[in-house]
Amino acid sequence: MESNRYDVVVVGAGLAGLTAAAAAVQQNLKAALVATGPGSFVLGPGWLTTADIARAGSAQELKEAIAFFCEKSLFAGCSLEGDLSTARPLPTLLGDFQRVALAPSSLWKAEPRPDTSSAVIGVRGLSSFDENFMAARLSECSHALGFSCAYAARQISLSRNFGVPVTTLRIATYFDRDPEFRAELMDALRSAAQGFARVLLPGMLGLHSSDHQIAQFEHDLGCSICEVPTLPPSVPGLRVFHRLESYLGKLGIELFRGYPVQSFEFHRDACTELRIASPGHSMLLRAESVVLATGRNSAELLGNDCVRLDEQMRPLTSSGALVAPNLFIAGSFLSNAETSRGDTLEILTGYRAGNLAASTRGNYAAR
Amino acid sequence: MRPDDFAIDNCLKCSLCNTVCPVLGVHPQYPGPKRLGPELERMRREGVRTDTEWVEYCLGCHRCDLVCPSQVNVSEMIARAKAEHRKPLVRGLRDWWFARPGLIGLLATILPAISNFALSLKVVRLLMSKIMLIEPRHMFPAYSRPDLRTPAPAGKDRPRVLLFPGCFIRYNQPDLGRTIIALLEQNGFAVEVAASECCGVPATANGDATLARALARANVKAMTHQVESGMRVVAACSSCGHRLKTAFGGTLEEDKKLAAAAQKIAANTFDLGELLMQQSNAGKLNTRFQPTSLKLAYHAPCHQKSQGIGRPWYHLLRQIPGVTIEDLDSGCCGMSGTYGFKQEKYDVSMAVGHDLFESINTAQPQMVTTECATCQFQIEHGTAFKTIHPAEVMLQAYSEHRAG
Repeated sequence: MESNRYDVVVVGAGLAGLTAAAAAVQQNLKAALVATGPGSFVLGPGWLTTADIARAGSAQELKEAIAFFCEKSLFAGCSLEGDLSTARPLPTLLGDFQRVALAPSSLWKAEPRPDTSSAVIGVRGLSSFDENFMAARLSECSHALGFSCAYAARQISLSRNFGVPVTTLRIATYFDRDPEFRAELMDALRSAAQGFARVLLPGMLGLHSSDHQIAQFEHDLGCSICEVPTLPPSVPGLRVFHRLESYLGKLGIELFRGYPVQSFEFHRDACTELRIASPGHSMLLRAESVVLATGRNSAELLGNDCVRLDEQMRPLTSSGALVAPNLFIAGSFLSNAETSRGDTLEILTGYRAGNLAASTRGNYAAR
Repeated sequence: MRPDDFAIDNCLKCSLCNTVCPVLGVHPQYPGPKRLGPELERMRREGVRTDTEWVEYCLGCHRCDLVCPSQVNVSEMIARAKAEHRKPLVRGLRDWWFARPGLIGLLATILPAISNFALSLKVVRLLMSKIMLIEPRHMFPAYSRPDLRTPAPAGKDRPRVLLFPGCFIRYNQPDLGRTIIALLEQNGFAVEVAASECCGVPATANGDATLARALARANVKAMTHQVESGMRVVAACSSCGHRLKTAFGGTLEEDKKLAAAAQKIAANTFDLGELLMQQSNAGKLNTRFQPTSLKLAYHAPCHQKSQGIGRPWYHLLRQIPGVTIEDLDSGCCGMSGTYGFKQEKYDVSMAVGHDLFESINTAQPQMVTTECATCQFQIEHGTAFKTIHPAEVMLQAYSEHRAG
């Protein structure tokens, strides 16, 4: 049994890579995911904006890709809500609103609601989250959007000394691990939330927590909880990444975390092997097809001579030759002003690449 | 390999290292890898005194290194700061011993029965806790006569491999060493046991950079000849394996000749599971397994994960008919070699392991299997489950061996 032979090796674990790996498994491919770190999605707020949607190839395919991604997120316990037809204004750390197409449920619920009494709750000592500033700005900005909501500001204190400064990452870690901490947070929130139908918290409800766990926490509090993304890395974004990655592992995708791909090897034009730069000596993976989702400016991996993609998302050299018939690009690999893409396109290209990889099956086996 | 000196400029302060640090999740005031690594390293390089007790709490699990999108060698920076850190006298003395499992092993195995008897006495452990600040709730592993030798050649044309035994196999479980030799022989190899020293991981973990360098030098000398002659080095302990593969943690960089020899050893070192998996991939694995019925839970040690070789043992053991194996994937066990034995760190160590213990209790396996000896202690200490090296599971599954 060859453990290092895969139908597809996906390189990169951002939105494009995760989607490609999930799509490949959906097609019953044996897949591996090679990644150094979680990609740039977690460095944003953890939601998907509507930017660039209009530039997608076909609306139908985009819809299908997004539906696929949302379904996988739901199974992974980090469901995203929304659709591409409406953009919902969601509050940011700066107290204004950004138009968002899709967001984790806890962020999605934070849209302005004139008929709901809302409080912004900060945590004493938490760096970069000012509930007074946010409440005032949100009230003002919601007026400008025509919603006229009023936000109150409240603050809670936690007895645990989290050092200085307190960060949402640290609170999230304790939220995940420590039932006593959750109980203390619950008590503090309960008194701060009194009289409000909804509270807006900095994104801090766990790095790994599932939809179910957050819903349970909300249920126990007896009041609607929304999260607002804070400085990067955003806790809600990390939560999506962690849950999707561990879900993919459960689906049988082999994860190679920590070391970059060092080289690709070609046999009879096809890309059939890649080497991971693990310590000592490289680790060899054999592949029927490869999906590169390594993000912006990583064209040097292919020798810097890839200038554009063909209609099947395979890279072409400056002379117009195909680099390899079984090598697909997903996400913002060849990035410049013209091809700069939004998050939704990462999902679209990932979905497409995962499916295209299935079409090469059995053709390029490395012997 | 990680480009060392420039790595610090690659740190974008994205905090992803902090999201995976096991200690940060259990100790509210621990500053975390970003602070103790790249942030303070900038000051240390400028000669600013930033000595802090917190560096002692780093487990050395390398999880921060693995998640870093820019390949910054965070834990190596913390290890360097540890070497500069000044400890109070008693802890310094204790850690002097902890840095030397080879010396402890050598002394304890002069009369193993007496050492084991003494170490099993509660009063001795209490005394050690009072005098040496060694946690009395942890039992020391039993010592055994260090009688692991190179076996008679198993066959003339067999590829020869050099087994790096590590202190645990040498002084505590020479039987495991013999199991590993038998397993390698079952798979067509001839085995020589290296006349090596401790790999130096405990020395680095306990802040003794000089000793780590000396051990690295001795190990290079002990193995260079064989490696030059084309032999591959096999490590069954994941920490030893990681040490060898990183050219002894870069401890020999100042001496170009030794560094090159260490690199050569690194390039030719294989984790035991990795080597057998390569055999399997080439269709050369001995798969004459006796069907069995065994429900296993597998814990991948941190230093296995940091070798970047996938999960060879998980895939190997799944080839045995009747074995079901669950990859626990529940983080670090918290033991980190000698860390869990230190009185002041025991609670942190157990809290780190909590998730792993929970998932073992949920999985309810017949046995837990993991490559790392100290992960084995910690799992047996934190749960009621027997924990063994995967090589033992595999050797037991060979029908010939059972019959013979």
